[in-house]
Amino acid sequence: MKKMRWAGVLLASMLVISLLSGCGSSGKQTLNIYSWADNFDADVLADFEKEYNVKIVYDVFANNEDLLAKIKTGGSGYDLIQPSDYMVDTMIKEGLLAPLNMENIPNFENIDPAFKDPVFDPGNKYSIVYMTGVTGIAYNKKYIKDEIDSWEDLWNPAYKGKVLLLDDNREVIGMALKKAGKSNSSMDEAEITAAVEDLKQLLPSVLAFDTDNIKNKMIQEEGWIGTVWSGDASVIAKDNPDVAYVVPKEGGTIFADNYAIPKDAKNKELAEKFINYMLEPEVSAKNYESIGYSDPNIKAKEFHSDEYNADTMINLSADELSRTEWLSDVQDKLQLYDRFWTELKSGRE
Amino acid sequence: MKTKTHPLLGFHSLLMMVFIYVPIAFIIAYSFNSSRLAADWSGFTLDWYASLFKNRRVIEALSNSLIVAAVSTVVSMILGTMAALSMKKLNRKLRAGMGGLLYLPIIIPDIIMGLSLLVLFTQFQVPMGKLTIIFAHITFSMSYVYVVVSTRLAGMGKQLEEAANDLGASAWQTFRYVTFPQIMPGIVAGALIAFTLSLDDFMVSFFVSGPSSTTLPIYIYGQVKRGISPEINALCTILIVVSVTLILLAQYILNRGKGQKKQSILPF
Amino acid sequence: MRKLSLSVLPVMLWLGVFLVIPMLIVVGMSFMGRDQVGGVVAGFSLEAYARFFDPLYLGIYWDTIVLSVLTTVICLVLSYPLAYYIANSGPKRQTWGLILVTIPFWINFLIRTYAWVLLLRTQGVVNNLLIDIGLIHEPLQLLYTRGAVLLGMVYTFIPFMVLPIYVALEQMDKKLLEAASDLGASPWKAFWHITVPQTRSGIMTGSVLVYVSTTGMFVVTDILGGAKSAMISNVIQAQFSGARDWPFGSALSIIFVITSLIMIALFNKAMTSRHLKVKEGR
Repeated sequence: MKKMRWAGVLLASMLVISLLSGCGSSGKQTLNIYSWADNFDADVLADFEKEYNVKIVYDVFANNEDLLAKIKTGGSGYDLIQPSDYMVDTMIKEGLLAPLNMENIPNFENIDPAFKDPVFDPGNKYSIVYMTGVTGIAYNKKYIKDEIDSWEDLWNPAYKGKVLLLDDNREVIGMALKKAGKSNSSMDEAEITAAVEDLKQLLPSVLAFDTDNIKNKMIQEEGWIGTVWSGDASVIAKDNPDVAYVVPKEGGTIFADNYAIPKDAKNKELAEKFINYMLEPEVSAKNYESIGYSDPNIKAKEFHSDEYNADTMINLSADELSRTEWLSDVQDKLQLYDRFWTELKSGRE
Repeated sequence: MKTKTHPLLGFHSLLMMVFIYVPIAFIIAYSFNSSRLAADWSGFTLDWYASLFKNRRVIEALSNSLIVAAVSTVVSMILGTMAALSMKKLNRKLRAGMGGLLYLPIIIPDIIMGLSLLVLFTQFQVPMGKLTIIFAHITFSMSYVYVVVSTRLAGMGKQLEEAANDLGASAWQTFRYVTFPQIMPGIVAGALIAFTLSLDDFMVSFFVSGPSSTTLPIYIYGQVKRGISPEINALCTILIVVSVTLILLAQYILNRGKGQKKQSILPF
Repeated sequence: MRKLSLSVLPVMLWLGVFLVIPMLIVVGMSFMGRDQVGGVVAGFSLEAYARFFDPLYLGIYWDTIVLSVLTTVICLVLSYPLAYYIANSGPKRQTWGLILVTIPFWINFLIRTYAWVLLLRTQGVVNNLLIDIGLIHEPLQLLYTRGAVLLGMVYTFIPFMVLPIYVALEQMDKKLLEAASDLGASPWKAFWHITVPQTRSGIMTGSVLVYVSTTGMFVVTDILGGAKSAMISNVIQAQFSGARDWPFGSALSIIFVITSLIMIALFNKAMTSRHLKVKEGR
């Protein structure tokens, strides 16, 4: 009998915790956002809640494919999602997105024309760009005295064991393709094979493949040089001023996260109002100041701090942008990309 | 109960505790570090604790996790124990089949379990939320409880149960006063594993979660892209302190008024 | 007693709904094809299974098995004495021992694993310590190696070994040991011939749990291994993310589950048939 009592205590305390934490629902209209973590400034969200008297539920995913899986099976219950460029393309093809009603989003005008009408969603029927960036080379000037301007530099034997690569099949193989002067979305087997052979030469130099934590590895100087997204490079440089960034002369991959609305969204109009609100120049400035990364809103420029406007890793030059290419769907060749990728990552043939 | 153990054994156990706790010590230390990125030590601060309590989303995620872990542990404790007890009542073929089936949730890769349950729930239009996460967690936790309780049953002789029977005890009495006390440590160990797994599960929970059912692991995995905030370290530190305090408290309550014999809160 | 046999029904029902049906979906998916954008298209093909017999994937599976067996053995060697120590101390210390072993694992797994990064990186604590005491002069590359992966796996799964072994040890009939010592058996002999066989079920359960969990773990290889030593679980994971090939991912999973079940059965058989077997009806 005594022995039962401890279990009772344990259960009771569990239940008390559970009950205490039950949250009351408020009857307000709810906007369910599904996005990357910390993708919005918390104050901006709170302002929107207040101004429109709604509640925002903000849930997070960690990669595009997980997002796809959830939206595809339907019934996810989200009103606003933020897929990346190629994922917008896939979702359109799979018929998962609702067309945007631009009458509710007049602030679309504020978007930089360079990011309107993107290849992955011609005419912005389903999506509006939220943030953009480019994959280039970040390197630590403390250890690397040579001038870095080409992907070729990653292969420099002097950096053996200090090279970081993104943990992404398309990004890395795309990089090797760019180095060879090809398209980053090549569907030519010979070109892909040659690029992978080239990467195998690089393999002994690679410290790690990493997408999420590459920033820490650069800041803490575990790696000296690596393929890094421009927005991440800006974060790195703030913590470690020795780190410089370059978009190589062969060009790099450009990417964007976007606003989109799933087909089965229950609060489509509210989601559109939210997008419009976020595109107000002042709101936009406040938001991007807080999250870093580049603001595609040209009217927001005057509201941004000088520091933000002067950051060359956030605000890439027209020249740098002209050298970039979007990744496009490689269809059935993806299997080949992944087979090669597995080879590279397992060190097996 | 206490038998003499070799001093080397004590030393080994001490080393193991060091091994287990060194990373934990770091997590706690970095909850007081003023740098956001867990790089070098850059000064003492309590800011992360302050911002943690203001962070509505972390608190919500934590409470979701605790609810899911508590409910799924209790249910899986019952189901897993029932499964282990009833195995010997089945004929051989059925037993082999059930045994294999009960091992499946342990073996199946998390992502497969998550995705297939997601497909199942959407097919039957079950709205995603805490309830679907609880269902999923029970499904795998139950197997762990089953496995551990079976371990206990395997080492248990039949004599006691038979004796109870001979003495005219009913099936229920035999279970209640003979079998149950004997397998209790197995149930507790199984429940500990179940609770730990539920609290830590990301992949399965991710797929079967819906709006406002973000659990702590889902929240933390989402943060990885931007670097996990030391707020989480602060949260982990609080979790450890709270669990140890609760256990101490429970022990104190149980021991109160029982002057002669100290009672352990775990029935060992 | 009849009531007890009825008690298997809820379990069966539960497993039927939440395990068997979903698994049938996966089996179905593994025979289907992949469309251009990575969706699953109806049809029947064995292609996904055939692709597994590529030396690349077979090799990766072999690596996975080697790593998992190694992890299991190390966990067993480290955990048995700890469990023994806990099981043989007073009731209060037993409680604390178990709680101390379990609580750290209530901390999120990712956080724990990143703590190892802090310890092992080139400017991390371990390297600094080794340099300070003069054992090495240049920092060692400890992270992003297979050794680091092994360490992370062992760390992650220790409680899975300690708890079942403890459960078995605690139950052991200690009179047998006394009898053995009365009969003049050395403590080592008594341990080997009495304690180990008596706790066989705990060793088995712990080993199976650790082995299976290691084969299924993919995050440790990413974080501590620098994503350079892909295991079968990484390949499966990739099929549902970057590779977008659900049929292949499903087929790999099914092969994985079946081979694991076979290995568990073989292991159980080996453990129960050898000299370790306890005499019936103790």
